Amino acid sequence: MSAEDLLPGLDPVIHAQPRLRITIVLAAIGEDDKMTFPRLQELTGMTAGNLATHLRKLEDAGYVAVTKSFRRRSPVTYLALTRPGRRALEDYTAALQRLLAVPGSGPNGSGPNGAPDSDPP
Amino acid sequence: MSDRGSASAEGSARLADEEPLSPQEALAIVADQQHAVDRSLQVNVALMHGVIGAAWLIGFGVAYLAFGPGKADPAVAWTAAAVIAVANAIAAAAGLGQTMRRGRGIEGRSWDAMRMYLWAWPVAFAGGYAADAGLQYQGLPERLVPLLWPGTAAGVCGLMYLAGGLFFRDKIHYALGAWILLVTAASMFAGVPGNFAVLALAGSAGFLVATWRYARIRKQARD
Repeated sequence: MSAEDLLPGLDPVIHAQPRLRITIVLAAIGEDDKMTFPRLQELTGMTAGNLATHLRKLEDAGYVAVTKSFRRRSPVTYLALTRPGRRALEDYTAALQRLLAVPGSGPNGSGPNGAPDSDPP
Repeated sequence: MSDRGSASAEGSARLADEEPLSPQEALAIVADQQHAVDRSLQVNVALMHGVIGAAWLIGFGVAYLAFGPGKADPAVAWTAAAVIAVANAIAAAAGLGQTMRRGRGIEGRSWDAMRMYLWAWPVAFAGGYAADAGLQYQGLPERLVPLLWPGTAAGVCGLMYLAGGLFFRDKIHYALGAWILLVTAASMFAGVPGNFAVLALAGSAGFLVATWRYARIRKQARD
């Protein structure tokens, strides 16, 4: 059973601990800012290999932009959350909060992804 | 990605950590990572304002006692000036150091702007003090000197806070800047030694209110 099957409505690209941590860290810097690979590694506490693998998935989904340049003749990899990536994280956390606001099925038969009963139409 | 090393095999194996998360687990991860990011990237603004507020209270308070009615003890006055200068330098260096340390490995327009804003502080103070030195050189009456230098320091501080409020879209910062400018003007009208009392009491009160507001925001963000 995949994560998507278990919790429909949650973006499967983000709904994994490592990628969730990566997107949260990158969302904390400005939209025009970018972070180096070692700093992202430090802030997520992940190994280089693990981070690279999950970054590739986020990059393939168009959520993370990878740019490479040179600083003092050394190669540097910069990572930034794209606009769709930022939006995806916002949607993900909103969906998560909706799920937790309505544990199980609501009285009107709303599923786990249904809006809370108190929400305006 | 050359600096990702040759660990791709290890990375593939780590995809196993894509175990389905429950909403509670996911939310706990969001909170935990957000907390770690805040701790690592956010500057403790409340602490900085607390230090500056204490410096104003102690420094200008001692200056008031030194220049108090009927007495002007140069030794105490210099001590007061040193306290203010050292405390402000510590607060500024702490702020600059924290920001530089937290901004490690981050590049882009907003961080560049932040660094420029922080460096604008010493530049603005240097410009203000140079203008004061020029006024003294041109023969400013000696009785106005204890009015001019603290007034310049406070005025520069107020303008920088006002600019910071605009830059960060931070209403507390902006309001503090406006308050400091008001306090600076009041201190000029109070004359010597009343100017020091105004700066010590009303000035530090502004910083302490800002400290309290920032500390509350920080606490709310943690909860």
